[in-house]
Amino acid sequence: MRFSVLKILSRQVYRSTIKKRSTLWLIGIFNLMLGFAVVSGYQILTTQQQIVDKYSQQVRHRWEKSPDKHPHRMAHYGYVAFRQKFPLSFFDFGMNSYVGNAVFLEAHRQNTVNFSEASLSNGLLRFGEISAGLILQLLLPLVIFFWGFDLISAERENGTLRILLTQGISWPELIMGKCLGLFSVSLTIFVPVVVISLILLFSNGAIGDNWQSLGYFAILIVGYLVYLLIVSLLAVFVSAKSNTSKSALTKLIGFWLFFTLILPKISLVIGQNLYPSPSKVEFDTAVEHELLAQGDSHNPNDPHFKVLKDSLLQAYGVDSTHKLPFNYGGYVMREGERLSAETYKRHQAKLVAIYQKQQNVVRLTALCNPFMAIKNLSMALSGTDYATYHDFENQAEAYRYKLAQTMNELQIKLISNTTKGSSGKQAIINRKHWAEFPDFSHHFPAFILVFQQEKLAIFSLIIWISGLYFLVTLSSKHFKAF
Amino acid sequence: MSKLFIVNKYMLTAKNLTKKYGEHIALHNLNLTIEAGEIFALLGQNGAGKTTTINCFLGFVEPSSGQAIINDISVTQNTAETKKYLAYIPETVMLYGNLTGIENLEFFSQLAGFRYSKEELSGFLSKAGLQTTAHSQRVGGYSKGMRQKVGIAIAIAKKAKVLLLDEPTSGLDPKASNEFSEILKELSQQGTAILMATHDIFRAKEVAHRIGIMKQGHLVSVIDSRDISATELEQLYLQMV
Repeated sequence: MRFSVLKILSRQVYRSTIKKRSTLWLIGIFNLMLGFAVVSGYQILTTQQQIVDKYSQQVRHRWEKSPDKHPHRMAHYGYVAFRQKFPLSFFDFGMNSYVGNAVFLEAHRQNTVNFSEASLSNGLLRFGEISAGLILQLLLPLVIFFWGFDLISAERENGTLRILLTQGISWPELIMGKCLGLFSVSLTIFVPVVVISLILLFSNGAIGDNWQSLGYFAILIVGYLVYLLIVSLLAVFVSAKSNTSKSALTKLIGFWLFFTLILPKISLVIGQNLYPSPSKVEFDTAVEHELLAQGDSHNPNDPHFKVLKDSLLQAYGVDSTHKLPFNYGGYVMREGERLSAETYKRHQAKLVAIYQKQQNVVRLTALCNPFMAIKNLSMALSGTDYATYHDFENQAEAYRYKLAQTMNELQIKLISNTTKGSSGKQAIINRKHWAEFPDFSHHFPAFILVFQQEKLAIFSLIIWISGLYFLVTLSSKHFKAF
Repeated sequence: MSKLFIVNKYMLTAKNLTKKYGEHIALHNLNLTIEAGEIFALLGQNGAGKTTTINCFLGFVEPSSGQAIINDISVTQNTAETKKYLAYIPETVMLYGNLTGIENLEFFSQLAGFRYSKEELSGFLSKAGLQTTAHSQRVGGYSKGMRQKVGIAIAIAKKAKVLLLDEPTSGLDPKASNEFSEILKELSQQGTAILMATHDIFRAKEVAHRIGIMKQGHLVSVIDSRDISATELEQLYLQMV
């Protein structure tokens, strides 16, 4: 393949496409839509960041300013963890608006993350949001198909193709040259939104302590470029293969419908049927059922903790829990928290495993569906996929467990073993202990985790681009000149 | 001396060239040689195999057996190399309507690996007989004769040694057709081998050195055009087909 020929061919495609008034209109409209999508996405993001900042400060402030009290009362007073938005989330909203934003953390209980945008907004969100990611994944291919469907078939129909080929260019050169031209036209839509996004990314205060998002954006850009190249190559390849422009267009629109609407929907339904997940009520009932069997850790005399009691008494050589050198009530509570947290974790892990399996079915179809591949990759790198959300849930639960157990430790160490109840003067400890417990901070998954989770998507994009390339270079005998 | 060498050189050779489409034989054991500077006209009804012959030389149709050879290089074995010597002018030279004559010529020349200045390109168009005023007009407004001239200019700019013409003058008015013939003669004098499929018996007699008549895939007769008058050629043609 000669570079000079590719350059001549691609320049010709670029110039003749860009010359058309309709093309300019389309490019203008797309740039407007994309600009609007990222700017409004960015505004939503900064508003949410401000809200999260404001209320997490309030939560912290109130926690630290709580009066002297019994530590377990403090564990029940609880904490609220807020989900941070990844600085890149304005580019691809993903599931952001549909998953919860805040969770109340308290002893003994794992609460659901609540207050998603969708649950708070009016019906408008139901019509779907338009993010830059969605436009680039879903609508741009359609436009590329419209620009590219007749790039070769029309030349065959009007006879220029034979003169082209007589000038000594090969089929692979012709297809790749046209593809690169089409690709460069699509860049007139892709590049501006990338530039705007970079400006927005830098103007966000959060970028200072989160360079991660900039690195992710770089990878995301590469991902989208490969995707656009795949779409361009597919369009030109189908145009070369089809007998008429009309059939090329029909095929390409068929591809588009199949890849963007039908296949994702089918894979979702298959995933849910293969691996049915329990409803929220079923899940909670199952956890509750098991917890009841473990006894009530608030009651030190609960028969379920008899074995624990007996072994402690034996170890310390005393005949009553009152004679133990530490607060026995706190000890039982610590044990109870450990058991209930483990139970919840086990059930939660099972549930998440089911979700994972469902999503793996969808991920697997990404292998044969470049649209699904870029969609998954884009969401993951923008920090708006389910995995990022689940990671937040885990971080919040880990923090909750630490909070409850720290309070239990304080009770074990600092509260006298003979103290009854939790309101007396002896049952309270100094408020300075509250400030010693660190604030909740939400971190985003490292790239290696994102990569591991989305390796199929990355693999799929590589397979598609190299597969199409080989198809173009190897099957040149099968194309028709007339 | 060198002129003699050029004249004797076979630029186009068909060796037992055969093309079958299933049961139908479109081209049957064609044997043909055309020297540098020679104009060979192929006569015959539609479906006689003229276009198939040209397509075999262009590499657009793969022969079922036999060989198409250009400048001693087999078309099937090295299609890319043979294209360097070839120029092709179909019944109507199709160009990019939104580009000017010069831009079209520039584009096609660049693809063939040539870079010319605007003056040079304009020179080629003039040499092909296209009036200067049309050079920078859009091809969309060109007449058929003008398009054919751009086709010739593409061939000249490419320094083609072999010209394959598929009914290039059909539908041209007599004046344009005559101009076209003059240009072909000029090219032939400069050593270009020309294979032309045509229905125009009188044009063939006037411009070609040799004339072949094809019927149902067979080359049934080859006549030296000096040995026959146009009327005799017409009678022979009518007898043959």
